Amino acid sequence: MATARELYEERLNRIKTAVALGKPDRVPVVPLGDSFCARHVGVKLSDFCTIPTLSNEVILKSFTSLGEVDGIQHASFYVHNLSTLWLAKLKIPGRDLPEDELWQVQEVELMKVEDYDVIIKDGFNKFIEKFFYDRLDNLGAKVQVFVESLSGAIKATEDLGIIPFSPAIATIPYEMFCGGRSMTEFLKDLFRIPDKVQAAMDVAMPEIIENTRQLCRALKPIAIWVGGWRAASEFLSPRLWKRFVLPYYKELVQAVVDEGVIPVLHFDSNWTRDLEYLRELPKGKCVFSPDGNTDIFKAKEILGDHMCIMGDVPAAMLSLGTPDEVHNYCRRLIENIGPSGFILAQGCDIPPNAKPENVKAMIESVKG
Amino acid sequence: MGESLTTYMGDLMEEEVYSEVRRQLDEGVPPEKIFGELQKGMEIVGERYQAQEYYLSELIMAADIFKKAAEPLQEKLKGSTGETVGTMVLGTVAGDIHDIGKNIVALVFSSNGFNVIDLGVDVPVQKFVDAVKEHKPQIVGLSCLLTTSFDSLKATVEALEQAGLRDGVKVLIGGGPVDEATCKYVRADAYCVDAPAGVDIAKKMLGVA
Repeated sequence: MATARELYEERLNRIKTAVALGKPDRVPVVPLGDSFCARHVGVKLSDFCTIPTLSNEVILKSFTSLGEVDGIQHASFYVHNLSTLWLAKLKIPGRDLPEDELWQVQEVELMKVEDYDVIIKDGFNKFIEKFFYDRLDNLGAKVQVFVESLSGAIKATEDLGIIPFSPAIATIPYEMFCGGRSMTEFLKDLFRIPDKVQAAMDVAMPEIIENTRQLCRALKPIAIWVGGWRAASEFLSPRLWKRFVLPYYKELVQAVVDEGVIPVLHFDSNWTRDLEYLRELPKGKCVFSPDGNTDIFKAKEILGDHMCIMGDVPAAMLSLGTPDEVHNYCRRLIENIGPSGFILAQGCDIPPNAKPENVKAMIESVKG
Repeated sequence: MGESLTTYMGDLMEEEVYSEVRRQLDEGVPPEKIFGELQKGMEIVGERYQAQEYYLSELIMAADIFKKAAEPLQEKLKGSTGETVGTMVLGTVAGDIHDIGKNIVALVFSSNGFNVIDLGVDVPVQKFVDAVKEHKPQIVGLSCLLTTSFDSLKATVEALEQAGLRDGVKVLIGGGPVDEATCKYVRADAYCVDAPAGVDIAKKMLGVA
Protein backbone atom coordinates (compact mmCIF):
# COMPACT_ATOMS: atom_id res chain seq x y z
CA MET A 1 0.00 0.00 0.00
CA ALA A 2 1.27 3.45 -0.92
CA THR A 3 2.37 5.71 1.92
CA ALA A 4 0.75 9.12 2.38
CA ARG A 5 3.89 10.69 0.94
CA GLU A 6 3.72 8.52 -2.18
CA LEU A 7 0.02 9.23 -2.60
CA TYR A 8 0.73 12.92 -2.23
CA GLU A 9 3.38 12.85 -4.95
CA GLU A 10 1.18 10.78 -7.25
CA ARG A 11 -1.78 13.09 -6.84
CA LEU A 12 0.26 16.26 -7.11
CA ASN A 13 1.77 14.96 -10.32
CA ARG A 14 -1.72 14.20 -11.65
CA ILE A 15 -2.93 17.72 -10.89
CA LYS A 16 0.20 19.43 -12.20
CA THR A 17 0.06 17.41 -15.41
CA ALA A 18 -3.52 18.57 -15.95
CA VAL A 19 -2.62 22.20 -15.27
CA ALA A 20 0.23 21.96 -17.80
CA LEU A 21 -2.41 20.72 -20.31
CA GLY A 22 -1.02 17.19 -20.33
CA LYS A 23 -2.87 13.90 -19.99
CA PRO A 24 -2.55 12.40 -16.49
CA ASP A 25 -3.10 8.67 -15.76
CA ARG A 26 -6.66 9.70 -14.94
CA VAL A 27 -8.55 12.96 -14.49
CA PRO A 28 -7.92 14.35 -10.99
CA VAL A 29 -10.83 15.27 -8.74
CA VAL A 30 -10.38 18.28 -6.46
CA PRO A 31 -13.63 19.28 -4.75
CA LEU A 32 -14.51 22.14 -2.46
CA GLY A 33 -16.93 21.68 0.37
CA ASP A 34 -17.55 23.68 3.48
CA SER A 35 -21.17 23.90 4.63
CA PHE A 36 -21.80 20.57 2.90
CA CYS A 37 -19.03 18.85 4.89
CA ALA A 38 -20.39 20.26 8.15
CA ARG A 39 -23.89 18.95 7.46
CA HIS A 40 -22.48 15.66 6.21
CA VAL A 41 -20.54 14.87 9.38
CA GLY A 42 -23.15 16.41 11.67
CA VAL A 43 -21.36 19.53 12.90
CA LYS A 44 -23.39 22.69 13.40
CA LEU A 45 -22.68 25.40 10.82
CA SER A 46 -22.30 27.90 13.67
CA ASP A 47 -19.28 25.96 15.01
CA PHE A 48 -17.91 24.98 11.64
CA CYS A 49 -17.74 28.51 10.29
CA THR A 50 -16.14 30.12 13.35
CA ILE A 51 -13.52 27.51 14.40
CA PRO A 52 -10.94 27.07 11.61
CA THR A 53 -9.27 23.99 13.15
CA LEU A 54 -12.65 22.28 13.43
CA SER A 55 -13.48 23.15 9.83
CA ASN A 56 -10.27 21.46 8.68
CA GLU A 57 -11.07 18.28 10.61
CA VAL A 58 -14.62 18.25 9.27
CA ILE A 59 -13.61 18.81 5.65
CA LEU A 60 -11.04 16.01 5.79
CA LYS A 61 -13.41 13.63 7.56
CA SER A 62 -16.20 14.28 5.10
CA PHE A 63 -14.18 13.86 1.91
CA THR A 64 -12.11 10.88 3.04
CA SER A 65 -15.33 9.06 3.89
CA LEU A 66 -16.78 9.69 0.43
CA GLY A 67 -13.98 8.28 -1.69
CA GLU A 68 -10.54 9.10 -2.95
CA VAL A 69 -10.00 12.76 -3.69
CA ASP A 70 -6.74 13.99 -5.20
CA GLY A 71 -6.95 17.30 -3.47
CA ILE A 72 -9.30 19.73 -1.82
CA GLN A 73 -9.59 23.33 -2.88
CA HIS A 74 -9.68 24.83 0.61
CA ALA A 75 -8.13 23.13 3.60
CA SER A 76 -10.24 25.02 6.12
CA PHE A 77 -12.97 27.61 6.36
CA TYR A 78 -13.50 30.75 8.38
CA VAL A 79 -16.58 32.81 7.80
CA HIS A 80 -14.96 36.19 8.53
CA ASN A 81 -12.62 35.73 5.56
CA LEU A 82 -15.62 36.53 3.38
CA SER A 83 -15.68 40.03 4.84
CA THR A 84 -12.07 40.63 3.81
CA LEU A 85 -13.01 39.93 0.18
CA TRP A 86 -16.45 41.55 0.11
CA LEU A 87 -15.76 44.46 2.47
CA ALA A 88 -19.18 43.62 3.85
CA LYS A 89 -20.80 42.41 7.03
CA LEU A 90 -22.19 38.93 7.33
CA LYS A 91 -25.16 37.14 8.77
CA ILE A 92 -23.59 34.36 10.79
CA PRO A 93 -25.31 31.20 12.07
CA GLY A 94 -25.51 31.09 15.84
CA ARG A 95 -25.14 34.88 16.03
CA ASP A 96 -27.60 36.41 13.56
CA LEU A 97 -29.19 33.24 12.22
CA PRO A 98 -30.30 29.88 13.65
CA GLU A 99 -27.33 27.61 14.44
CA ASP A 100 -27.57 25.47 11.36
CA GLU A 101 -28.44 28.00 8.67
CA LEU A 102 -26.04 29.07 5.98
CA TRP A 103 -24.03 32.28 6.44
CA GLN A 104 -24.81 35.09 4.01
CA VAL A 105 -23.10 38.29 2.94
CA GLN A 106 -25.10 41.34 3.98
CA GLU A 107 -24.80 43.64 1.03
CA VAL A 108 -25.29 47.20 2.16
CA GLU A 109 -23.44 50.37 1.28
CA LEU A 110 -20.68 50.07 3.85
CA MET A 111 -18.10 51.80 1.68
CA LYS A 112 -19.17 55.32 0.81
CA VAL A 113 -18.61 57.18 -2.41
CA GLU A 114 -16.16 59.50 -0.57
CA ASP A 115 -13.99 56.47 0.22
CA TYR A 116 -12.69 56.43 -3.34
CA ASP A 117 -11.01 59.75 -2.52
CA VAL A 118 -9.61 58.36 0.72
CA ILE A 119 -8.08 55.42 -1.18
CA ILE A 120 -6.62 57.74 -3.83
CA LYS A 121 -5.14 59.97 -1.12
CA ASP A 122 -4.01 57.50 1.56
CA GLY A 123 -3.50 54.28 -0.37
CA PHE A 124 -5.42 51.04 -0.19
CA ASN A 125 -3.77 49.20 2.70
CA LYS A 126 -4.16 52.17 4.97
CA PHE A 127 -7.79 52.55 3.99
CA ILE A 128 -8.52 48.86 4.47
CA GLU A 129 -6.86 48.72 7.86
CA LYS A 130 -9.10 51.51 9.11
CA PHE A 131 -12.16 50.12 7.31
CA PHE A 132 -11.69 46.72 8.95
CA TYR A 133 -11.32 48.34 12.35
CA ASP A 134 -14.09 50.95 12.16
CA ARG A 135 -16.71 49.43 9.95
CA LEU A 136 -16.11 45.70 10.18
CA ASP A 137 -15.80 45.38 13.91
CA ASN A 138 -12.02 44.96 14.13
CA LEU A 139 -11.91 42.37 11.36
CA GLY A 140 -8.11 42.44 11.18
CA ALA A 141 -7.85 40.98 14.68
CA LYS A 142 -10.62 38.44 14.00
CA VAL A 143 -8.95 36.86 10.99
CA GLN A 144 -5.75 36.23 12.95
CA VAL A 145 -7.30 32.98 14.25
CA PHE A 146 -7.56 31.75 10.69
CA VAL A 147 -4.12 32.95 9.64
CA GLU A 148 -2.50 31.20 12.61
CA SER A 149 -4.34 27.95 11.98
CA LEU A 150 -3.72 27.74 8.25
CA SER A 151 -0.32 26.04 8.19
CA GLY A 152 -1.65 23.35 10.55
CA ALA A 153 -4.65 22.75 8.30
CA ILE A 154 -2.40 22.47 5.27
CA LYS A 155 -0.12 20.01 7.01
CA ALA A 156 -3.01 17.86 8.28
CA THR A 157 -4.26 17.62 4.69
CA GLU A 158 -0.82 16.71 3.32
CA ASP A 159 -0.37 14.09 6.04
CA LEU A 160 -3.31 12.21 4.53
CA GLY A 161 -1.71 12.35 1.10
CA ILE A 162 -4.28 14.90 -0.06
CA ILE A 163 -3.26 18.06 -1.90
CA PRO A 164 -4.32 21.29 -0.16
CA PHE A 165 -4.68 22.78 -3.61
CA SER A 166 -5.69 26.44 -3.27
CA PRO A 167 -5.87 27.40 0.41
CA ALA A 168 -6.05 31.19 -0.03
CA ILE A 169 -7.93 33.76 -2.11
CA ALA A 170 -7.02 37.01 -3.85
CA THR A 171 -9.16 39.21 -6.02
CA ILE A 172 -9.18 42.45 -8.00
CA PRO A 173 -10.25 45.91 -6.76
CA TYR A 174 -13.54 45.65 -8.69
CA GLU A 175 -14.78 42.80 -6.50
CA MET A 176 -13.83 44.48 -3.24
CA PHE A 177 -15.27 47.85 -4.19
CA CYS A 178 -18.40 46.18 -5.56
CA GLY A 179 -18.95 44.29 -2.32
CA GLY A 180 -18.24 47.32 -0.18
CA ARG A 181 -20.36 49.76 -2.15
CA SER A 182 -23.11 47.14 -2.84
CA MET A 183 -23.49 45.98 -6.41
CA THR A 184 -26.27 48.39 -7.33
CA GLU A 185 -24.39 51.46 -6.13
CA PHE A 186 -21.10 50.29 -7.56
CA LEU A 187 -22.47 49.67 -11.04
CA LYS A 188 -23.93 53.18 -11.00
CA ASP A 189 -20.51 54.54 -9.97
CA LEU A 190 -19.10 52.99 -13.15
CA PHE A 191 -21.45 55.23 -15.15
CA ARG A 192 -21.39 58.38 -13.04
CA ILE A 193 -17.81 58.61 -11.75
CA PRO A 194 -15.81 56.16 -13.89
CA ASP A 195 -12.56 58.11 -13.75
CA LYS A 196 -12.59 58.30 -9.98
CA VAL A 197 -13.35 54.58 -9.63
CA GLN A 198 -10.50 53.77 -11.98
CA ALA A 199 -8.12 56.10 -10.15
CA ALA A 200 -8.94 54.31 -6.87
CA MET A 201 -8.48 50.91 -8.55
CA ASP A 202 -5.14 52.00 -9.96
CA VAL A 203 -3.96 53.08 -6.52
CA ALA A 204 -5.20 49.84 -4.93
CA MET A 205 -3.80 47.49 -7.57
CA PRO A 206 -0.04 47.65 -6.84
CA GLU A 207 -0.77 47.21 -3.15
CA ILE A 208 -3.04 44.21 -3.79
CA ILE A 209 -0.35 42.73 -6.02
CA GLU A 210 2.29 43.18 -3.33
CA ASN A 211 -0.04 41.72 -0.66
CA THR A 212 -0.69 38.73 -2.90
CA ARG A 213 3.02 38.21 -3.56
CA GLN A 214 3.70 38.26 0.17
CA LEU A 215 0.89 35.77 0.73
CA CYS A 216 2.37 33.43 -1.87
CA ARG A 217 5.83 33.70 -0.35
CA ALA A 218 4.63 33.10 3.20
CA LEU A 219 2.28 30.23 2.42
CA LYS A 220 4.03 28.63 -0.59
CA PRO A 221 0.78 27.14 -1.83
CA ILE A 222 0.45 25.09 -5.00
CA ALA A 223 -2.33 27.36 -6.17
CA ILE A 224 -4.50 30.21 -4.96
CA TRP A 225 -7.90 31.32 -6.05
CA VAL A 226 -8.05 34.47 -8.11
CA GLY A 227 -11.71 35.06 -7.50
CA GLY A 228 -14.39 36.68 -9.61
CA TRP A 229 -18.11 36.79 -8.92
CA ARG A 230 -19.62 40.18 -9.64
CA ALA A 231 -17.09 40.99 -12.34
CA ALA A 232 -18.63 38.33 -14.60
CA SER A 233 -19.26 39.19 -18.23
CA GLU A 234 -22.99 38.65 -17.84
CA PHE A 235 -23.27 41.67 -15.55
CA LEU A 236 -21.27 44.21 -17.55
CA SER A 237 -21.24 45.63 -21.02
CA PRO A 238 -18.01 44.85 -22.88
CA ARG A 239 -16.96 48.50 -22.66
CA LEU A 240 -17.00 48.41 -18.84
CA TRP A 241 -15.59 44.89 -18.57
CA LYS A 242 -12.57 45.72 -20.71
CA ARG A 243 -11.84 48.80 -18.64
CA PHE A 244 -12.55 47.75 -15.04
CA VAL A 245 -12.09 43.98 -15.06
CA LEU A 246 -9.76 42.42 -17.64
CA PRO A 247 -6.60 44.52 -17.15
CA TYR A 248 -6.67 43.93 -13.41
CA TYR A 249 -7.02 40.15 -13.73
CA LYS A 250 -4.18 40.09 -16.21
CA GLU A 251 -1.92 41.89 -13.79
CA LEU A 252 -2.91 39.83 -10.73
CA VAL A 253 -2.65 36.51 -12.57
CA GLN A 254 0.80 37.41 -13.91
CA ALA A 255 2.01 38.27 -10.40
CA VAL A 256 0.78 34.92 -9.04
CA VAL A 257 2.41 33.03 -11.91
CA ASP A 258 5.66 34.96 -11.32
CA GLU A 259 5.60 33.68 -7.74
CA GLY A 260 5.48 30.11 -9.05
CA VAL A 261 1.90 29.62 -7.90
CA ILE A 262 -1.04 28.45 -10.02
CA PRO A 263 -3.85 31.01 -10.28
CA VAL A 264 -7.23 29.28 -10.17
CA LEU A 265 -9.74 31.57 -11.84
CA HIS A 266 -12.63 30.79 -9.54
CA PHE A 267 -15.20 32.55 -11.71
CA ASP A 268 -18.81 32.49 -10.62
CA SER A 269 -21.71 33.45 -12.90
CA ASN A 270 -21.49 33.60 -16.68
CA TRP A 271 -18.17 34.53 -18.37
CA THR A 272 -18.90 32.89 -21.74
CA ARG A 273 -18.90 36.13 -23.74
CA ASP A 274 -15.31 37.00 -22.81
CA LEU A 275 -13.60 33.61 -22.78
CA GLU A 276 -11.51 34.65 -25.77
CA TYR A 277 -9.78 37.34 -23.69
CA LEU A 278 -8.62 34.78 -21.13
CA ARG A 279 -6.25 33.53 -23.81
CA GLU A 280 -4.21 36.62 -22.99
CA LEU A 281 -3.28 34.98 -19.67
CA PRO A 282 -0.10 32.83 -19.48
CA LYS A 283 -0.49 29.49 -21.30
CA GLY A 284 -0.47 26.25 -19.33
CA LYS A 285 -0.11 28.05 -16.00
CA CYS A 286 -3.70 28.79 -14.91
CA VAL A 287 -6.90 26.94 -14.14
CA PHE A 288 -10.28 28.19 -15.33
CA SER A 289 -12.90 27.18 -12.79
CA PRO A 290 -16.47 28.13 -13.77
CA ASP A 291 -19.47 27.50 -11.52
CA GLY A 292 -21.96 25.92 -13.92
CA ASN A 293 -23.19 29.20 -15.40
CA THR A 294 -20.40 29.68 -17.94
CA ASP A 295 -20.75 27.23 -20.84
CA ILE A 296 -17.92 24.86 -19.93
CA PHE A 297 -18.04 23.15 -23.33
CA LYS A 298 -17.59 26.50 -25.03
CA ALA A 299 -14.72 27.14 -22.59
CA LYS A 300 -13.10 23.92 -23.76
CA GLU A 301 -13.48 25.00 -27.38
CA ILE A 302 -11.97 28.44 -26.81
CA LEU A 303 -9.50 27.85 -23.97
CA GLY A 304 -8.86 24.12 -24.18
CA ASP A 305 -5.41 24.39 -25.76
CA HIS A 306 -4.44 27.28 -23.50
CA MET A 307 -5.70 26.70 -19.98
CA CYS A 308 -6.67 23.79 -17.74
CA ILE A 309 -10.40 23.71 -16.97
CA MET A 310 -11.86 22.68 -13.63
CA GLY A 311 -15.50 22.06 -12.86
CA ASP A 312 -18.38 22.21 -12.96
CA VAL A 313 -21.04 19.89 -11.47
CA PRO A 314 -23.83 22.40 -10.76
CA ALA A 315 -25.01 23.03 -7.20
CA ALA A 316 -28.61 22.33 -8.15
CA MET A 317 -27.69 18.91 -9.60
CA LEU A 318 -25.84 17.97 -6.41
CA SER A 319 -28.85 18.87 -4.27
CA LEU A 320 -31.80 17.88 -6.47
CA GLY A 321 -30.29 15.31 -8.85
CA THR A 322 -29.59 11.58 -8.50
CA PRO A 323 -26.22 9.74 -8.35
CA ASP A 324 -26.84 8.48 -11.89
CA GLU A 325 -27.41 11.97 -13.22
CA VAL A 326 -24.26 13.20 -11.47
CA HIS A 327 -22.22 10.24 -12.75
CA ASN A 328 -23.40 10.76 -16.31
CA TYR A 329 -22.68 14.48 -16.23
CA CYS A 330 -19.20 13.87 -14.77
CA ARG A 331 -18.40 11.26 -17.42
CA ARG A 332 -19.49 13.69 -20.09
CA LEU A 333 -17.10 16.27 -18.63
CA ILE A 334 -14.24 13.79 -18.29
CA GLU A 335 -14.61 12.54 -21.84
CA ASN A 336 -15.34 15.86 -23.55
CA ILE A 337 -13.48 18.49 -21.54
CA GLY A 338 -10.78 16.01 -20.50
CA PRO A 339 -9.00 13.71 -20.44
CA SER A 340 -6.14 16.25 -20.91
CA GLY A 341 -6.07 19.60 -19.13
CA PHE A 342 -9.10 18.92 -16.97
CA ILE A 343 -9.77 18.65 -13.23
CA LEU A 344 -13.14 17.41 -12.06
CA ALA A 345 -14.90 19.45 -9.36
CA GLN A 346 -18.26 20.92 -8.45
CA GLY A 347 -19.17 24.36 -9.80
CA CYS A 348 -18.34 26.99 -7.16
CA ASP A 349 -19.03 25.14 -3.92
CA ILE A 350 -20.92 22.00 -2.92
CA PRO A 351 -24.16 23.33 -1.41
CA PRO A 352 -25.11 22.39 2.17
CA ASN A 353 -28.13 20.43 0.99
CA ALA A 354 -26.19 18.33 -1.55
CA LYS A 355 -26.90 14.63 -1.14
CA PRO A 356 -23.74 12.81 0.07
CA GLU A 357 -24.44 10.02 -2.45
CA ASN A 358 -24.27 12.62 -5.23
CA VAL A 359 -20.92 13.94 -3.99
CA LYS A 360 -19.68 10.36 -3.75
CA ALA A 361 -20.84 9.72 -7.33
CA MET A 362 -18.87 12.78 -8.47
CA ILE A 363 -15.68 11.66 -6.70
CA GLU A 364 -15.96 8.09 -7.97
CA SER A 365 -16.72 9.05 -11.56
CA VAL A 366 -13.03 9.68 -12.34
CA LYS A 367 -12.44 5.94 -12.07
CA GLY A 368 -14.71 5.22 -15.00
CA MET B 1 -40.48 66.21 -28.64
CA GLY B 2 -41.85 63.20 -26.73
CA GLU B 3 -39.85 60.94 -28.96
CA SER B 4 -36.58 62.48 -27.82
CA LEU B 5 -37.37 61.73 -24.17
CA THR B 6 -37.91 58.10 -25.11
CA THR B 7 -34.63 58.10 -27.01
CA TYR B 8 -32.72 59.76 -24.16
CA MET B 9 -34.14 57.19 -21.75
CA GLY B 10 -33.28 54.31 -24.06
CA ASP B 11 -29.76 55.66 -24.55
CA LEU B 12 -29.28 56.22 -20.78
CA MET B 13 -28.55 59.92 -21.32
CA GLU B 14 -29.19 60.81 -17.73
CA GLU B 15 -28.93 64.62 -17.70
CA GLU B 16 -30.89 64.93 -20.94
CA VAL B 17 -33.69 62.76 -19.51
CA TYR B 18 -34.04 64.92 -16.40
CA SER B 19 -33.95 68.24 -18.25
CA GLU B 20 -36.42 67.01 -20.87
CA VAL B 21 -38.86 65.92 -18.13
CA ARG B 22 -38.52 69.35 -16.50
CA ARG B 23 -38.98 71.13 -19.81
CA GLN B 24 -42.10 69.17 -20.68
CA LEU B 25 -43.57 69.72 -17.21
CA ASP B 26 -42.90 73.45 -17.54
CA GLU B 27 -44.63 73.46 -20.88
CA GLY B 28 -47.67 71.81 -19.34
CA VAL B 29 -47.38 68.42 -21.04
CA PRO B 30 -49.64 66.00 -19.10
CA PRO B 31 -47.59 63.91 -16.64
CA GLU B 32 -49.24 60.71 -17.92
CA LYS B 33 -47.81 61.46 -21.34
CA ILE B 34 -44.33 62.15 -19.99
CA PHE B 35 -44.48 58.97 -17.91
CA GLY B 36 -45.56 57.05 -21.00
CA GLU B 37 -42.53 58.30 -22.90
CA LEU B 38 -40.24 57.19 -20.09
CA GLN B 39 -41.90 53.76 -20.12
CA LYS B 40 -41.32 53.50 -23.86
CA GLY B 41 -37.67 54.33 -23.19
CA MET B 42 -37.54 51.50 -20.65
CA GLU B 43 -39.01 49.16 -23.25
CA ILE B 44 -36.08 50.04 -25.49
CA VAL B 45 -33.74 49.27 -22.59
CA GLY B 46 -35.46 45.89 -22.12
CA GLU B 47 -35.16 45.11 -25.83
CA ARG B 48 -31.48 46.03 -25.90
CA TYR B 49 -30.90 43.90 -22.80
CA GLN B 50 -32.47 40.91 -24.48
CA ALA B 51 -30.47 41.58 -27.63
CA GLN B 52 -27.34 41.61 -25.40
CA GLU B 53 -26.51 45.17 -26.31
CA TYR B 54 -27.19 46.08 -22.68
CA TYR B 55 -26.27 44.14 -19.57
CA LEU B 56 -27.16 44.25 -15.90
CA SER B 57 -24.97 47.36 -15.53
CA GLU B 58 -27.16 49.26 -18.03
CA LEU B 59 -30.36 47.81 -16.55
CA ILE B 60 -29.49 49.07 -13.07
CA MET B 61 -28.51 52.45 -14.43
CA ALA B 62 -31.71 52.68 -16.50
CA ALA B 63 -33.85 51.75 -13.51
CA ASP B 64 -32.19 54.47 -11.45
CA ILE B 65 -32.65 57.13 -14.14
CA PHE B 66 -36.28 56.07 -14.60
CA LYS B 67 -36.98 56.27 -10.89
CA LYS B 68 -35.39 59.70 -10.51
CA ALA B 69 -37.01 61.05 -13.69
CA ALA B 70 -40.44 59.85 -12.59
CA GLU B 71 -40.16 61.43 -9.12
CA PRO B 72 -41.47 64.90 -10.09
CA LEU B 73 -44.34 63.16 -11.91
CA GLN B 74 -45.48 60.97 -9.04
CA GLU B 75 -47.38 63.66 -7.14
CA LYS B 76 -49.23 64.71 -10.28
CA LEU B 77 -49.93 61.14 -11.33
CA LYS B 78 -51.59 60.35 -8.00
CA GLY B 79 -55.33 60.20 -8.29
CA SER B 80 -55.23 59.66 -12.01
CA THR B 81 -56.60 56.23 -12.80
CA GLY B 82 -53.39 55.03 -14.35
CA GLU B 83 -54.02 51.73 -16.08
CA THR B 84 -51.91 48.82 -14.98
CA VAL B 85 -51.21 45.65 -16.88
CA GLY B 86 -51.66 43.63 -13.72
CA THR B 87 -50.55 43.29 -10.11
CA MET B 88 -47.54 41.33 -8.90
CA VAL B 89 -46.70 40.33 -5.36
CA LEU B 90 -42.93 39.96 -5.20
CA GLY B 91 -40.34 38.91 -2.65
CA THR B 92 -37.15 36.98 -1.88
CA VAL B 93 -38.22 33.83 -0.05
CA ALA B 94 -37.67 32.99 3.62
CA GLY B 95 -34.07 32.39 4.66
CA ASP B 96 -32.59 34.33 1.76
CA ILE B 97 -31.55 37.99 2.04
CA HIS B 98 -30.45 38.63 -1.55
CA ASP B 99 -32.18 41.68 -2.96
CA ILE B 100 -30.46 42.83 -6.14
CA GLY B 101 -32.28 40.54 -8.55
CA LYS B 102 -35.56 41.07 -6.76
CA ASN B 103 -35.18 44.87 -6.89
CA ILE B 104 -34.45 44.76 -10.59
CA VAL B 105 -37.53 42.63 -11.17
CA ALA B 106 -39.57 45.22 -9.22
CA LEU B 107 -38.24 48.09 -11.31
CA VAL B 108 -38.50 46.37 -14.67
CA PHE B 109 -42.04 45.15 -13.98
CA SER B 110 -43.11 48.60 -12.69
CA SER B 111 -41.69 50.35 -15.71
CA ASN B 112 -43.63 47.89 -17.87
CA GLY B 113 -46.93 48.90 -16.33
CA PHE B 114 -47.27 46.35 -13.51
CA ASN B 115 -48.37 47.36 -10.05
CA VAL B 116 -45.66 45.70 -7.95
CA ILE B 117 -46.20 44.91 -4.27
CA ASP B 118 -42.65 44.35 -3.04
CA LEU B 119 -42.56 42.38 0.22
CA GLY B 120 -38.76 42.65 0.56
CA VAL B 121 -36.30 39.86 1.42
CA ASP B 122 -36.45 36.87 3.78
CA VAL B 123 -40.25 36.92 3.42
CA PRO B 124 -42.09 34.40 5.60
CA VAL B 125 -44.49 32.08 3.79
CA GLN B 126 -47.50 33.49 5.62
CA LYS B 127 -46.66 37.01 4.50
CA PHE B 128 -46.94 35.91 0.86
CA VAL B 129 -50.28 34.26 1.59
CA ASP B 130 -51.59 37.38 3.36
CA ALA B 131 -50.39 39.65 0.57
CA VAL B 132 -52.07 37.51 -2.09
CA LYS B 133 -55.33 37.64 -0.13
CA GLU B 134 -55.07 41.39 0.29
CA HIS B 135 -53.85 42.51 -3.13
CA LYS B 136 -55.35 39.78 -5.34
CA PRO B 137 -52.42 39.80 -7.79
CA GLN B 138 -52.36 37.92 -11.08
CA ILE B 139 -48.66 37.20 -10.63
CA VAL B 140 -46.58 36.08 -7.66
CA GLY B 141 -42.83 36.51 -8.16
CA LEU B 142 -40.48 34.50 -5.93
CA SER B 143 -36.75 35.17 -5.94
CA CYS B 144 -33.82 33.28 -4.40
CA LEU B 145 -30.06 32.98 -4.83
CA LEU B 146 -29.38 29.98 -2.60
CA THR B 147 -30.08 26.37 -3.49
CA THR B 148 -31.01 25.95 0.18
CA SER B 149 -33.92 28.30 -0.50
CA PHE B 150 -35.54 25.87 -2.93
CA ASP B 151 -37.50 24.42 -0.03
CA SER B 152 -38.70 27.91 0.91
CA LEU B 153 -39.87 28.36 -2.68
CA LYS B 154 -41.68 25.05 -2.46
CA ALA B 155 -43.21 25.86 0.93
CA THR B 156 -44.48 29.19 -0.37
CA VAL B 157 -46.16 27.58 -3.38
CA GLU B 158 -47.64 24.88 -1.15
CA ALA B 159 -48.99 27.45 1.29
CA LEU B 160 -50.75 29.21 -1.60
CA GLU B 161 -52.21 25.84 -2.62
CA GLN B 162 -53.40 25.11 0.91
CA ALA B 163 -54.96 28.55 1.25
CA GLY B 164 -56.91 27.88 -1.94
CA LEU B 165 -55.17 30.80 -3.66
CA ARG B 166 -52.97 28.91 -6.09
CA ASP B 167 -55.41 28.69 -9.01
CA GLY B 168 -55.93 32.44 -9.07
CA VAL B 169 -52.27 33.33 -9.59
CA LYS B 170 -49.33 32.51 -11.80
CA VAL B 171 -46.15 31.85 -9.84
CA LEU B 172 -42.93 33.00 -11.50
CA ILE B 173 -39.56 32.12 -9.98
CA GLY B 174 -36.09 33.40 -10.68
CA GLY B 175 -32.58 33.87 -9.28
CA GLY B 176 -29.05 32.49 -9.73
CA PRO B 177 -29.42 28.72 -9.33
CA VAL B 178 -33.06 28.49 -10.42
CA ASP B 179 -33.76 26.45 -13.54
CA GLU B 180 -36.43 24.31 -15.18
CA ALA B 181 -35.82 21.46 -12.71
CA THR B 182 -36.31 23.86 -9.80
CA CYS B 183 -39.53 25.09 -11.37
CA LYS B 184 -40.83 21.54 -11.53
CA TYR B 185 -39.64 20.76 -8.01
CA VAL B 186 -41.41 23.73 -6.42
CA ARG B 187 -44.44 23.51 -8.77
CA ALA B 188 -44.16 27.08 -10.07
CA ASP B 189 -45.72 28.10 -13.40
CA ALA B 190 -42.55 29.34 -15.01
CA TYR B 191 -38.95 30.18 -14.33
CA CYS B 192 -37.57 33.44 -15.66
CA VAL B 193 -33.99 33.70 -16.79
CA ASP B 194 -33.99 37.47 -16.09
CA ALA B 195 -36.34 40.38 -15.40
CA PRO B 196 -37.18 41.34 -19.00
CA ALA B 197 -37.85 37.68 -19.84
CA GLY B 198 -40.14 37.60 -16.80
CA VAL B 199 -42.11 40.56 -18.13
CA ASP B 200 -42.59 38.77 -21.46
CA ILE B 201 -43.75 35.60 -19.74
CA ALA B 202 -46.11 37.50 -17.43
CA LYS B 203 -47.61 39.51 -20.27
CA LYS B 204 -48.18 36.36 -22.32
CA MET B 205 -49.84 34.68 -19.34
CA LEU B 206 -52.14 37.66 -18.92
CA GLY B 207 -52.86 37.86 -22.62
CA VAL B 208 -51.50 41.39 -22.98
CA ALA B 209 -48.37 40.65 -24.96
